[in-house]
Amino acid sequence: MKTEKSGVDAGWMQRVMERYEGPLLRYAAKVLGGDLELGRDVVQETFLRLWRSDRAGLGDHLPEWLFRVCRNRAIDVRRKERRMTRLNEQAEQTRPSPALSPSAVALKREAAGRAAKALTTLPVNQQEVLRLKFQNGFTYRQIAGITGHSVTNVGFLIHTGIRTIRKQFKTLGLISGA
Amino acid sequence: MKNEHDEAKLTAYALGELSEAERAEVEAQLASDPAAGREVEEIRKVAGILTEELKAEPAPKLTSQQRKAVKAQAAKPQRKLRIWIPLSAAASILIVVAFLSTLSKSRELGHQVASLQDEKLALEKDRDVMQVTDAEKIADVTKAEQFKAKIGRLNQPIDALPQPSKPARVLAYKFASKLSERASAIVRQRGMRKSNVLYADGHVVGSGEWLERLPGDSNEAFRRRREEWNREAYDHIVDNPFRSVADHPLSTFSIDVDTASYANIRRLLNQGTLPPKGAVRIEEMINYFSYDYAGPKKGDKHPFAAHAAVAGCPWNARHRLVRVAIKGREIAPEKRPSSNFVFLLDVSGSMRPANKLPLVKRAMKMLVERLGENDRIAITVYAGAAGLVLDSTTCDERQKILSALERLRAGGSTAGAAGIKLAYQVAAKNFIKGGVNRVILCTDGDFNVGITNQSELVRMIEGKAKTGVFLSVLGFGMGNYQDSRLEKLADKGNGNYAYIDTIKEARKVLVTQMSGTLITIAKDVKIQIEFNPTRVAAYRLIGYENRILAKEDFKDDKKDAGEIGAGHTVTALYEVVPAGEKVETPAVAPLKYQTPARPTEAADSKEMLTLKLRYKRPDGDKSTLMEYPVADAGGRFDKASADFRFATAVASFGMILRDSKYKGTYTLDAVIELAQSSKGKDKEGYRAEFIQLVKTAKAIGKK
Repeated sequence: MKTEKSGVDAGWMQRVMERYEGPLLRYAAKVLGGDLELGRDVVQETFLRLWRSDRAGLGDHLPEWLFRVCRNRAIDVRRKERRMTRLNEQAEQTRPSPALSPSAVALKREAAGRAAKALTTLPVNQQEVLRLKFQNGFTYRQIAGITGHSVTNVGFLIHTGIRTIRKQFKTLGLISGA
Repeated sequence: MKNEHDEAKLTAYALGELSEAERAEVEAQLASDPAAGREVEEIRKVAGILTEELKAEPAPKLTSQQRKAVKAQAAKPQRKLRIWIPLSAAASILIVVAFLSTLSKSRELGHQVASLQDEKLALEKDRDVMQVTDAEKIADVTKAEQFKAKIGRLNQPIDALPQPSKPARVLAYKFASKLSERASAIVRQRGMRKSNVLYADGHVVGSGEWLERLPGDSNEAFRRRREEWNREAYDHIVDNPFRSVADHPLSTFSIDVDTASYANIRRLLNQGTLPPKGAVRIEEMINYFSYDYAGPKKGDKHPFAAHAAVAGCPWNARHRLVRVAIKGREIAPEKRPSSNFVFLLDVSGSMRPANKLPLVKRAMKMLVERLGENDRIAITVYAGAAGLVLDSTTCDERQKILSALERLRAGGSTAGAAGIKLAYQVAAKNFIKGGVNRVILCTDGDFNVGITNQSELVRMIEGKAKTGVFLSVLGFGMGNYQDSRLEKLADKGNGNYAYIDTIKEARKVLVTQMSGTLITIAKDVKIQIEFNPTRVAAYRLIGYENRILAKEDFKDDKKDAGEIGAGHTVTALYEVVPAGEKVETPAVAPLKYQTPARPTEAADSKEMLTLKLRYKRPDGDKSTLMEYPVADAGGRFDKASADFRFATAVASFGMILRDSKYKGTYTLDAVIELAQSSKGKDKEGYRAEFIQLVKTAKAIGKK
């Protein structure tokens, strides 16, 4: 049985949590339709899993790993909560986001106006991918690794999402029309 | 002309996602295409705005307890021995359960089972958590054949339990859906509520499972997992099959004027998904629409009129369709009996979105504006807020009522002590003899009105219905929507159930149809049809699967059935196989001790069937019989009335959505055509909306 030097690792864990707690929570809450409570459970679970995993082997892939595990867990939780409507994954990903829950409403109020607003008009899967790209700074390849989409599909989702937002921004006068 | 692929590539280029080679390619293109260059600029601008604003979004935090828990794990020397079961496995079907003072035996059923010995279990909801914090015991239990659980804190509500500092196991159990006779007897004798009994006197009545509770688990999240338990999925419905008249000459069912299924299907289709089959209840779809049936004549002793019509079957040329139509007597608004309404509103946090509590408020305002000084309204709430928001107030004090409505806010958890009991108390206190006394529950299905035990709740509602206070259930919003459970409650409460998703629907349910939705003119209405074997070989009732009654139930006044409201219509369709045609009913071997029944003289007549109905007055106990013979004049389907044909269009849409094997040759295109040709005046536009929905379904199906 390996016994790690607890001091060093506790410090590492602390740093990882400080750095990724916020972004992961933000992400998880979105996947869960705005439910921050559930999001916290999911993110805590993600960190616990990180601890149990082969941490050393992760290296550069740590952020991607965290987001992927978090996403999978959130989807599991969401599926259970959604036993009522039983939408299939496909349909679920392409329908517009449902009415916001109370914590989502709160989050929404705090977020900057236009970008967040524009995003909410997009189908759920486009929103997710755009956030991974622009809010969390992942590359297409990393996003593919997190979500399970192919790289081409990721590119397509981002392209479509940006095209929609472009139109909206143009209407709002945020960028000059062409 | 750029194709999608090229356009996506341009975006990828703009965002710096292309490889060296691809980048060079695109740059070459850009050199000769200034428009593309501008696009790239735009894309980058948008990306810039998105990045800036999204990164500035506030990032939430874990609770300090959660962080401590994770750090606590990290501080320990790591052992490879796993001492947790992943949450996903354990958390899926758990309920926190009442536990017992001594556990002696346990049995493996795939899950852990605890045995009950203590009879003094006066356990109430919420006082049913036991935590075991001994780590070694946990390790045993995961493989356990036998366990001795620590008798920790019994009868403690979740909130009183301290947060565990180590991973804790909580015993949760699932009770069997049917208790054995013996177990039921024991429960009755000892007065123990069914849900608290796990194992009674040698009979297993439920199985248990360990629920993981980590030190970071908030009470709220834990409670939520427990409540997941009570959520039921849509019931699985099997289409009514064809029945041969020789074996089943009688068809008996309870009428149903609920319309929630149609509103639900509409919501799902408008969201772009096909509804799950269990959500499609054909009778509710048909009954959503209004039809021009003739009501009872002046002086008629019955409060409703019943007719039957026969025509051809559009999806199977060899079959006939029989439509049973019932129309309740209209009550002029001036002649409405006085009302005593108690609104029981769910004000939990989940009701905050615009299509929930705010919509409830708007709907209720519309209703209040229609009521007068002889009507009373009270408002009670459950979940978080105090129980009685507005004591029963006559509706001439409109401002007082509207202000109380305005003050309502959603918030707080869904557990509540006050709630349905209080609502009924208020209703009873202000009972109007000969008037309409009703509790109107408005919820999004996250339904915790103070009694979690479903059967206890149902019993209470049934009891109250007998005293003349009925229950209507209005469902709002989506996501937490729990269909069959709420319907059952309305059923037992002698009321009806509607689903309100827009202000238009709210107006329909609460205002336009108010005299129908909220005023019962006949209760326990049952239909029984006897088919003539010389005319009919087999029949199939379309829909009403949940409403089928045994033939003895028709005359049995103790058996509950549906209600009819003033002005309401009820429609039922049978697909009939005429005598002489081939029938696909399963074959039954000829009886050994009896010969098949012989047709009587009555069968010689031209009658195809006899339609019988039984109903009780709203405050009555004994049922009254109505009886009408019906002949088949041989009319063709396209000559049937517009209402008949439209109802048929709706029914076939339902059958197609359920992918029923009885849908015959019909397609969505045929449904659209039929609906369009039978649309009629369609004053309120619901039929046009239906046609739109079918088109939407067609578009979704194509994807």
